[in-house]
Amino acid sequence: MPITILPPKQTPQPSLPPHDIDSDSDSSSSNGGADLSLSPPSRKSHNNNNNNPLFTNLVTPGTLITPDPQWMRGHGTYIPPSHPHTIFSSLAGITTRTNKLISVTPLRSRYTPEVGDLVVGRIIEVQAKRWKVDINSTTLASLPLSAINLPGGILRKRTETDELQIRTFFSEGDLLVAEVQSLFQDGAAVLHTRSLKYGKLRNGLFVAVSGQSGGSGVVRSRRQVWTMEGRNGGGKMDVILGVNGYVWISKHVETIAKELEQKHMGITNMEENVSAGVYSSQNDGIDGGTMREMARLRGVVVALVENGCRVDEDMILRGYEEACEMALMMGEGGVEDVYLGGERGEELVRGLRGR
Amino acid sequence: MAQQQQHVLLSPAELAYLHSSLSLTPPIRPDGRSATQFRPLSAETGILPGTNGSARVCFADGTEAIVGVKAEIERTKRRWDDDGVYRENAQQHQEQEGEGKEGEGQEGSGDWVELTVEIPGLRDDDSGTAFLGRMLGEALLADGGFVGRLRVNRRFHWKVFLDILLISPPLSYPLPLLSLTTHLALLATRLPKLKSEGDEDPFFDDDWAAARYLYARDPVTKKVVERPPVTLLVMAVGGNIIFDPSKEELAVADVALAVSIGDDATATKTKEDEMEVDSSSGRNLKLLSIRTVDPPSRLTPPGVANAANSAYGHAQVVNTAATQKMPEARQTESEAVEGVWKPPRGGAKASVMGALVQKVLVKGGVADEVLDALEGVDTS
Repeated sequence: MPITILPPKQTPQPSLPPHDIDSDSDSSSSNGGADLSLSPPSRKSHNNNNNNPLFTNLVTPGTLITPDPQWMRGHGTYIPPSHPHTIFSSLAGITTRTNKLISVTPLRSRYTPEVGDLVVGRIIEVQAKRWKVDINSTTLASLPLSAINLPGGILRKRTETDELQIRTFFSEGDLLVAEVQSLFQDGAAVLHTRSLKYGKLRNGLFVAVSGQSGGSGVVRSRRQVWTMEGRNGGGKMDVILGVNGYVWISKHVETIAKELEQKHMGITNMEENVSAGVYSSQNDGIDGGTMREMARLRGVVVALVENGCRVDEDMILRGYEEACEMALMMGEGGVEDVYLGGERGEELVRGLRGR
Repeated sequence: MAQQQQHVLLSPAELAYLHSSLSLTPPIRPDGRSATQFRPLSAETGILPGTNGSARVCFADGTEAIVGVKAEIERTKRRWDDDGVYRENAQQHQEQEGEGKEGEGQEGSGDWVELTVEIPGLRDDDSGTAFLGRMLGEALLADGGFVGRLRVNRRFHWKVFLDILLISPPLSYPLPLLSLTTHLALLATRLPKLKSEGDEDPFFDDDWAAARYLYARDPVTKKVVERPPVTLLVMAVGGNIIFDPSKEELAVADVALAVSIGDDATATKTKEDEMEVDSSSGRNLKLLSIRTVDPPSRLTPPGVANAANSAYGHAQVVNTAATQKMPEARQTESEAVEGVWKPPRGGAKASVMGALVQKVLVKGGVADEVLDALEGVDTS
């Protein structure tokens, strides 16, 4: 069936737990009898659905959060001059309380860079001595020419020739993986790629998912980059999860080890050898099996995000295993079937949660 | 040719990867769909109470379109060669005569349909938006039957306003989405029942329940008998034909075509007289229009082969004299190298175009299944 048209999903109704009073008791005691009066008033308590805070604490811009003067306003809220002491939401998100502080965490937000973050970015603009990089933040990040590994082996000073040839390193549209080196006053990031781990990306495919939004998306974790074994005849794959929600899935290429083996060079010369291919935009030969598994992996990432799961190494590895099994069980073409959209994505996530 | 309005920014390496994966047999699409598979969508009709017909279609990625159809009664302008012009004062006389010319009166004019497309972030007179609107309108008018439906009598007709809105920013070329939504909205469109007779001033039944569908239904089964046209986006890459391409896929397309198809209702009708056939198998697809869509692939930057890359290799501090003079000279076109992106050049081959249209129109093929699926949507 090439096309599936479904009726629209019903808005999920907040299901009230059967023991309304019991589940309330702990929350009302903790905030000392002062309750947040949330509109609409039909919701008796902000906390009557503990396991699903989304439905009870969800606010939109302009929603009255509380008229009680004992609360302090935090991020994502405001107090209009006409109504002193009354806290309104200025974002669409979930209200959170920290002692007497009320703040609203937005459901979707752009990436806020932090020093040390691993990000995947795309060159948007080439300037005289730097690049402007889209990292899904509110402003473009900048990558100075002095913060990249220049080709030619040894770490050297940049020259005028390099400035003239700036487009041979990165030009508009190129994808790169980099680290946030520092931040400007306005929150704009400065990136660097002065490491063998960073640089131009090739041999793979890109997928942008929202970062850090309402529990789904890429989360900061211990490992953002890893190599995994492809199943069903696929080769090794590299996955780079940018903290900014940009994901890169590529074929694993053993450059360092191979080159060292061939040339019997020491680790000191490693930099020199590796830098040869750093600015290449030519893909290596990729076999069909690996391409298929990469597409499956991409499907897993998209399905996780569409169904509100966090995206990290553990979830992707488990999701990939599950997807391979699903393809065997229910795919029309067996392992050839990599489609994970729509209902199959929901099925996949249900399988993951069920375990 | 339409200029692709949203410029896709993809790196040459990505483009090369996409092109090679889509050229495999069978193609491996980045989202894992098969070549003829559409993105799953959810649809509903009758969402706008103030309109004669409306529909909403959403993709899973959040792309969403709304179409509203409003109808207004309007006095038909007389054409200069219409004998009525010369007998404006002798209207009565003409009316009596009018009965005999029923067949001639079935024709309408393209002015009876006003179609506006709105895409967030783009101006109304943006070339891309205007082209989309023309394409959708063209499909509607190419099937001459549509304006014929709007005729009330010799002096009056319905004027239909189609408002096509894309709610979300266009994540992919929005043509198929807008076309499917328009199709559903038109299917759900109802016009008040006419009470007056002949050429007198029209007078309508107040009862909305008695309103008739713009596209006739089978009185017994309530099934759709006639259908508005639908426009599909098809692209070819390598030897593969791919339906409903996403933005990334379109960025490596060799050819992209917008194919409008309609259901030849008259042919079906005559066939039904002969034998009692089920309406889905008796569908008679008709090609209404074809437009080539300029794929953004032609504007993408070419990749640089390692051999020509001055930043590749070891001893790059010492450059050749040529590259030092013209650092940007590498951008010039080169021979095709495996793994390096090279934008398609030149026009589409006639055989490819033929294969694309053939693939759409073949009986029991994609277009048939799309129309089947659209019929399944509750439009009452």
